Amino acid sequence: MDSHHDSNLSNSSQVGQPFTRLEDRRHLAGQGGFVADLRLPGIRDVAFLRSSMAHARLGPIAVPADAPAGAVWTAEAFHGLVKPIRAVLDRPAYRPSDQPVMAEGTVRHVGEIVAAVLADNRALAEDLAERLEPAYDPLPAITDPEQALLPESAPLHPGWADNVYMTMGRTTGDFDAMVARADVHVTRHLRMERVAAMPLETRGCVARFDRGSGVLTLWIATQRPHLIRTMLAEQLTGIEERDIRVIAPDVGGGFGGKSNLYPEEILLAAMAMRLPHPVRWIEDRWEHMVSASHSRQHVQTITAHATKEGELLAVDVRFLVDGGAYAMRTSTPAVEANMASSVLPGPYKFQAYRFEATTVATNKTPVGPFRGVGRPAAVFAMERIMEETAAAIGMDPVEFRLRNMIQPEEHPFTTISGLVYDSGDYPSLLTKAAQSIRAPGKGDAPANIAIGIGFGCYTEQTAHGAQEWHRRGSPFVYGFEAARVRIDPSGGVLVSTGIQSHGQGLETSLAQIAGDVLGVSYDRVRVVHGDTELCPYGMGTVASRSLVMAGGAVEGACQRLAAKIRRIAAHNLDCAADDVLLAGGEAQGPGGSIPLDAVARIAYLELQKLPLDVEPALDILYCYRPPVETGAYSSGVHAAKVAVDLDSGHVKILDFVVAEDCGRVINPLIVDGQIAGGVAQGIGQALLEEFQYDDQGQPTKVTLADYLVPGAPELVNVRIIHQETLSPFTVHGAKGLGEGGAIGPPAAVANAVSDALRQFGVDVRRVPIRPEDLWEALRP
Amino acid sequence: MTDIAITINGTAWEGTVEPRLSLADLIRGELTLTGTHLGCEHGVCGACNVEVDGVPMRSCLMPAAAADGCAITTIEGQYGEMAERLRAAFTTHHALQCGFCTSGMMATALDILRRGLGRDEATIRRELAGNICRCTGYQGIVAAILHVAQETTP
Repeated sequence: MDSHHDSNLSNSSQVGQPFTRLEDRRHLAGQGGFVADLRLPGIRDVAFLRSSMAHARLGPIAVPADAPAGAVWTAEAFHGLVKPIRAVLDRPAYRPSDQPVMAEGTVRHVGEIVAAVLADNRALAEDLAERLEPAYDPLPAITDPEQALLPESAPLHPGWADNVYMTMGRTTGDFDAMVARADVHVTRHLRMERVAAMPLETRGCVARFDRGSGVLTLWIATQRPHLIRTMLAEQLTGIEERDIRVIAPDVGGGFGGKSNLYPEEILLAAMAMRLPHPVRWIEDRWEHMVSASHSRQHVQTITAHATKEGELLAVDVRFLVDGGAYAMRTSTPAVEANMASSVLPGPYKFQAYRFEATTVATNKTPVGPFRGVGRPAAVFAMERIMEETAAAIGMDPVEFRLRNMIQPEEHPFTTISGLVYDSGDYPSLLTKAAQSIRAPGKGDAPANIAIGIGFGCYTEQTAHGAQEWHRRGSPFVYGFEAARVRIDPSGGVLVSTGIQSHGQGLETSLAQIAGDVLGVSYDRVRVVHGDTELCPYGMGTVASRSLVMAGGAVEGACQRLAAKIRRIAAHNLDCAADDVLLAGGEAQGPGGSIPLDAVARIAYLELQKLPLDVEPALDILYCYRPPVETGAYSSGVHAAKVAVDLDSGHVKILDFVVAEDCGRVINPLIVDGQIAGGVAQGIGQALLEEFQYDDQGQPTKVTLADYLVPGAPELVNVRIIHQETLSPFTVHGAKGLGEGGAIGPPAAVANAVSDALRQFGVDVRRVPIRPEDLWEALRP
Repeated sequence: MTDIAITINGTAWEGTVEPRLSLADLIRGELTLTGTHLGCEHGVCGACNVEVDGVPMRSCLMPAAAADGCAITTIEGQYGEMAERLRAAFTTHHALQCGFCTSGMMATALDILRRGLGRDEATIRRELAGNICRCTGYQGIVAAILHVAQETTP
């Protein structure tokens, strides 16, 4: 008989199916449990007083005489209890800044915490916070990254000689020779403005200290409960990691913005440890706008050197990123420019590459990760210059790209920036996207409308292992993910994992993987995540890694559990373990079968039927570390068709096509949802979203009425074309795809608008593309 | 303080509220119906939409005192045939990811359907302008509303 269980993939029935999500029922019934929904007896609320100044010396804070004792907590109250946040990066060029948990002496951005106020409810806490009067002595504010580099801009941080967090550069290949060989040299100065993840649920934290057990429990809207716990143990005095429990309940979106360690979490923990009652802080939207991490804000100069026949020879790029006031833990603001410089080559090969990546400090909200990290900006720069170079040569932009793309048979391919691509067929993706978007549209455009088509091609490093994190200098080398799989005595399957699902549908996708291996329907599998006490250690959900890494862990744990089930069943069916198949909720042998619940009962409660050499219980912990740690590269081509109103400068998306390859699709419904959602955020970045500051460092967009995220009327149905090139480096051949949707749109939309306006000599240099900018550029 | 009497999900409730208490805070606080979410508290995102006398309203902007005499339905109380169809369609079309906007989105979607405006995509998108979803790109939400409209109209 065949060993039909070598791999579950050959007979898989659930992986690849568009099953509806197990998460939906609770949310559709209004029974989700977000951090603000938690009810604890005796809980009191914290409101923070935040700096109204971008840069100032902070003097004493006047507290009203009628403030109740113990209601106002200033920095002094936390002396000896908490340590400043220091985000380190093991790179010689990197300079860390200490981020105070609460400001003391100096404030460096609007929104920095100045005091905490405790009251019976939030309204009362806010009332008192409003009556505090901090003494500010204003200092000049740095509000622009280029300003930060000027010699007259005094260093913002003590001991710094200038305002540079990090600058690095490298030249690869014979750059000068390639420039000499090139016929055309095309340069653009570009800007990608400051945006934020902007999840619909703001941040929040509830902390309770149990005096009996000495256990501190925090419920935090976070993407990384285990890492936050590890970091809290480092930041707090008087408590060990063992005694800290972090629970990430239902989390209302994160997109990277909830992956940082935030001062509020440390403050709430320290307060709870000194109070006889739980404390809660639920962020309001203004606080979110000024104190949750921002992202992007690039100033870029890029030059392509190419032959007139269309061979791209060399690229020269300079990234300057406004990193904001402090280095957030763990990503640091340098993540944005550093990643942009390493991923810039994308799907293309060329002979020489020169880059400079610089991250500077300004008096603005700190920069952290947001879906795509570095890649939307790199792809914007690269694809804009590909478009303009094609135009300079007089070549079709699709032809020009195809001519310079890495071919599928060249994988594994090491890029000129040193990344190792595992697999992919980029020319095929581009061809499909181009055919789809260029199909004749309906109707003619009126005279005042210009139509354009543009592309954004990218590769997306996902699920990278220890080698890659170490190379980047990350203090945490994210090398593995764990899964614990238990089958209880009645046959129910419980999977617990260290990742966190906050919209990605991992409770469903991981159940499909477990269900296939164990031969049960996915809806019999419950996936538990987000609780450091209930779940094995894990890195959390960042960097498009959860499905691949946790999927590998669940697969491995279930395979080991399945082997044990087969041995128990074989013993009782009087056959060989290799002859037992797990399917339909049964262990099936050649001459009979045993239901899974009966096997489970044997393992726990009927040990007389358990072979002596089989350990009782069905409970396995397995850690997955990928055999190759350079990552599985998803790839995609985004194609946009836009209409530009020549009278108003308004841009309307007419059609949007995504041709993507994320390897094996575990759940097509969820994959399409991730793509459409990412594209919406990318279109927001292309057309609507940006923070702005005045020259005093005051943010001028602090509500959802000013900071515009896309609504339904601004978007179209994204048409998705799938291509499945399996990764040779991952368990299921799957590649991460959480971020890809947000990577391509700024480039694709900017190229489409440039295509529409080429006849008028206008091309896009900045995203978001504002109607007033186009209107100005189009004026005769 | 103001005395009010409301009907919440079909049940009468009487109580005393501070004039500044929002309807959302009453619903989520004293009434412990936490299926209504607060996304912005300034009337833009629509996450807090509930049905007040049959019309979706921003519960973050409406003072609880102003709801005196009103019948309020939150996600927990939406159990008519249309609501059940919509729930099924939301799941089938993957109209939610994190679930935070969902209850407000359901309130608006039901209103769109009841007004007979769920028959074409452009109208649905325009009607959804007051509800932000940061996860889905609205694709599944639009499809779910279309689906129910087609199911329920001959």
